[in-house]
Amino acid sequence: MKVSLNHLKRYVDINVSAEVLCEKMPLAGFEIESVEKKGDGIKNVVVAKILEISPHENSDHLQICQMDVGKNAPVQIVTGAQNISVGDFVPAALDDSFLPDGTHIVSGKLRGVESNGMLCSGGELGLTEADYEGAEVHGILILKGEQIPGTDIKEALGLDDTVIDFSITSNRPDAGSFLGIAKEISVVLDTEFKAPEISYKTVGGDIDDYISVSVENIDLCPRYMGRMVKNLRIAESPDWMKKAIISAGMRPINNIVDITNFVMLETGQPMHAFNYNDLKDKKIIVRNACEGEKIVTLDGKEFNLTGDMLVIADGKNPSCLAGIMGGKESEIEDDTTDLFLESAKFRRDSVRHTAHTLGIRTESCARFEKGTDINNVEYAMNRALSLIYELNAGDIIDGAADIHGDLPENRIIKTTTDKVLELIGVDVPKDTMVSILNKLGLETKLSGNEMTVSVPSMRDDVEGRADLAEEIMRIYGYSHIKGRPMRGEVTRGKILPEREKSNKIKSLLTSCGMREIATYSFINPAAADMLGLSESDERRNMIKIINPLGDEYSALRTQLVSSMLSVMATNISRKIEGAKFFEISKRFFGELPLKSQPEEIPTLCLGIYGKDEDFFTLKGIIESLFKLFGAHTRYERAAEPYLHPGRQAEVYANNTLCGTFGEVHPSVAEKFGINERVYVAEIKLDVLYGINRRKLVYKPLPKFPAVERDFALLADIDTPVGELQKAISSGAGRMLEKIKLFDIYTGSQIPEGKKSVAFSVWLRSAEGTLTEEQTESICSKIVEKLQKAGGELRK
Amino acid sequence: MKEQLEAIRLAAEKGVSAALDEKQIEELRVKYLGKKGELTALLKQMGSLSPEERPKMGQLVNDAKAKVEALITERKAKLKEKATELKLKSETIDITLPEKATDVGGLHPLSIVTNDLIDIFQSMGFDVLDGPEVETDHYNFECLNVPEDHPARDMQDTFYLADKILLRTQTSAAQVRTMETRKPPIRIICPGRVFRADEVDATHSPVFHQLEGLVVDKGVTMCDLMGVLEQFAHEIYGDSVNVRFRPSFFPFTEPSVEVDVSCTECGGKGCRVCKGEGWIEILGAGMVHPNVLRSCGIDPDVYTGFAFGIGIDRITTTRYKISDIRLLFENDKRFLEQF
Repeated sequence: MKVSLNHLKRYVDINVSAEVLCEKMPLAGFEIESVEKKGDGIKNVVVAKILEISPHENSDHLQICQMDVGKNAPVQIVTGAQNISVGDFVPAALDDSFLPDGTHIVSGKLRGVESNGMLCSGGELGLTEADYEGAEVHGILILKGEQIPGTDIKEALGLDDTVIDFSITSNRPDAGSFLGIAKEISVVLDTEFKAPEISYKTVGGDIDDYISVSVENIDLCPRYMGRMVKNLRIAESPDWMKKAIISAGMRPINNIVDITNFVMLETGQPMHAFNYNDLKDKKIIVRNACEGEKIVTLDGKEFNLTGDMLVIADGKNPSCLAGIMGGKESEIEDDTTDLFLESAKFRRDSVRHTAHTLGIRTESCARFEKGTDINNVEYAMNRALSLIYELNAGDIIDGAADIHGDLPENRIIKTTTDKVLELIGVDVPKDTMVSILNKLGLETKLSGNEMTVSVPSMRDDVEGRADLAEEIMRIYGYSHIKGRPMRGEVTRGKILPEREKSNKIKSLLTSCGMREIATYSFINPAAADMLGLSESDERRNMIKIINPLGDEYSALRTQLVSSMLSVMATNISRKIEGAKFFEISKRFFGELPLKSQPEEIPTLCLGIYGKDEDFFTLKGIIESLFKLFGAHTRYERAAEPYLHPGRQAEVYANNTLCGTFGEVHPSVAEKFGINERVYVAEIKLDVLYGINRRKLVYKPLPKFPAVERDFALLADIDTPVGELQKAISSGAGRMLEKIKLFDIYTGSQIPEGKKSVAFSVWLRSAEGTLTEEQTESICSKIVEKLQKAGGELRK
Repeated sequence: MKEQLEAIRLAAEKGVSAALDEKQIEELRVKYLGKKGELTALLKQMGSLSPEERPKMGQLVNDAKAKVEALITERKAKLKEKATELKLKSETIDITLPEKATDVGGLHPLSIVTNDLIDIFQSMGFDVLDGPEVETDHYNFECLNVPEDHPARDMQDTFYLADKILLRTQTSAAQVRTMETRKPPIRIICPGRVFRADEVDATHSPVFHQLEGLVVDKGVTMCDLMGVLEQFAHEIYGDSVNVRFRPSFFPFTEPSVEVDVSCTECGGKGCRVCKGEGWIEILGAGMVHPNVLRSCGIDPDVYTGFAFGIGIDRITTTRYKISDIRLLFENDKRFLEQF
């Protein structure tokens, strides 16, 4: 909320500088969004009166002015402007002066004629039309009224003001007004708060003779108040009011409209002024709009209304969108003579809903949405009438329409000083507590330790001891709180097994040289097409965000591969030669339309590329990973649409499918902008997390030597090497220590359709050195099994 | 014979000293000390000597043999040393040649910071919990004292997935789930991913990370909150930083505070980093609102508690002086390799 410091001084003594105030207020709960000091940077610019203008003999457009700048002798200044005449008061930047943009003005000669300064335009002084009327006119700024030459221009233009933008937290709508923030300042600075005086006289008559007011929906409009003002004398508002309105970021219009806006800014209660003579049937009805009704608002836009929107209607049509904006038809204009003035409370969710649906944002609806005080309705009305009277803007008719249900009474909180201090842990003196609360308008009585606090409706946010603790501390000062180390049992906190396991995985993968990445949880649903997922693929059933930031981020991911491919594409496009990435994140699956929280599946995605990488790099990493969990692995051919049909596998942990991996299908890679071989894996971690690993126990190192035997085999070219390996393993049984594939060969000397495969096999017994006979017997069993698996020993 | 012995010994010594490699030495050893060597031959000739002279001469020959033997050993060692020296010299490499790269891999900076935070709070006895990323309106708002028409809902732009189902806007949602299942004393943190409908720019990301902390027990006060946050701040920002509370508003805490630390760049004097204020806002905190305790079945007249929410991304960007939060989600390898 923007407010002029000069204006605030009407309500509260501010005995500190703007800087100090801006340091203190945040510590009481009001952050400063911005501080705007008008006239900052202007130096040695004064009001000057033009005494004489003569032409410049060397120039058609320059003029020589003799200026009264408040000194004994006139000062000569040459100017190029044409909009000046003798007797005008204008801003003159004297010798050695500064303008807001940093320009330094010094005496000099213009086409041979001495010029001791410069006459300034509004723009050169950093002014806009809102700061001073005529500021944006082409030419020199002509000051209004009689001025005293030599006066500092900042003073003459009212630029000695500071506009502070206070941030008001959403629990304190009461502080979002001139009076509200002034009250807070008075408590923080411990100075006097002066509410404006309210008094006005009426001219008789009776409102009931003019208009009938009814509220059909008291639920959405808990209070509606109206007054009549006749014989309007529409004019310009006084300067002080215009400045207050401008500094708050609004525009002055005329005295009546300005009074409604000013009262809203001052009290926080929005007001609305209707042109009485435009109200049909002399009726005001607060009701829901009829389906299909229309209204043209003050800004000339037409809206179609629905039955859930609250309007203020006359006898025929909606005349105002309740709490949001008035209608064009009943607008106050220069020739308006009679006024119906409204002050009301509308329910905030109703205002928010209507404003949001119609896409309208106004100062008024912002205040209603934050919540207004029902008891402030009458105060604001009286303040407005008081200003109408003070400015002689019209004749006030007797009587008020005031429709409302029960008005809230003060909330009474009974607690003890101990209960309040118990939350804070600071020993605030009782008297101080009471005095702070009283100053804040929370009337407090103390009897022993018993506190009774009476909370007015405007401080609806104060509900109990916790709120009282906050009110006391923000004024007493949080600097009184001294840290106390944790007490109680001192044990190291526990960590969930899933997080522990995920940490283990991360540590394994980083030691494999992999880099962890982080990507968004939502993706473009088009990823399903880019990956070529079939129509029936469950990963197409992505949960959609109702209000996404754009298509690109509109679906919760059912796979991590597309994010990984995008990251690899980025790196490849930046000429990074090779990379090994991993990400652990969640995939989301739920029945659509979503009725309950979806399943969140912890998933690992691996992505690698580079000249030394291939399918088997990935397989090696996966093998190490599964070993970490003590899982037995099995690989099967897979049919993932986004992977190379001949270079992909499913991996099973203890016979449960955990994921797929392989080389990315070149046409899929291409869709992501990748033109080289890349490899990805996606592994469901819940399976791995679920494995209960037996406690690790050390195995003794072997005591007896191992025997190494080589097997060179001939097999059909299609025979999987894995099958031959299995055969060796089953033939060797318990004596097998390790198998190592050392050669695969096809080509010359190998028959067509065959391949040569060679293994080294290590055999070892824990009981003793294997004898020649034992070894031979094992080997012949191996050969037998190999034959069954399609592997003939090469002779 | 004595002269003969002397002559042989001198010749042998001369020969050994002049030998240039191990092969020559070996030849000399055979020549003098071998089975058919010259000194061995002398021993064989001793039969011609008188019995009195024999032991004397024997002694002399053996002494000469030992001398030559020692000389040979010494010379051999010297030559070997020399050979090694030469070999090593010839093997000198250019140590400025590039290294053989070892790719060590590493965690994402967000994980590094998260782990650091977990470690700090674990050591203070906080259990580490996780909560779902997709939450219900009930846990994300309602139980946190944010009823439907509450203005606090204006403060956060929430991603909705369905009626009353949303992407959690804060890890505070985990608070409620914890209090529903655990009874005081409670001391937990919940780090995790949260979502808000913020347009992406240098300082905003629709996906970011928070760490929620919650303590509920009898007699917990704001001084305990300050104590925990001071310890946290000292571990993250250094022992010399000061911590201050500034009143603020969150619907789920009362009193609510913003927590600032004295600027780590200027020490509190005011600089560009802290925008001249001398303080940097690091997190929001407060005493758990009685309504929140009540909605979780904990009696607010018996128990009090505090909660705090730390922005992990913010700590990451300030720690490493990362100027654009988007870098965290872009995953350029050259960026990731720096951590």
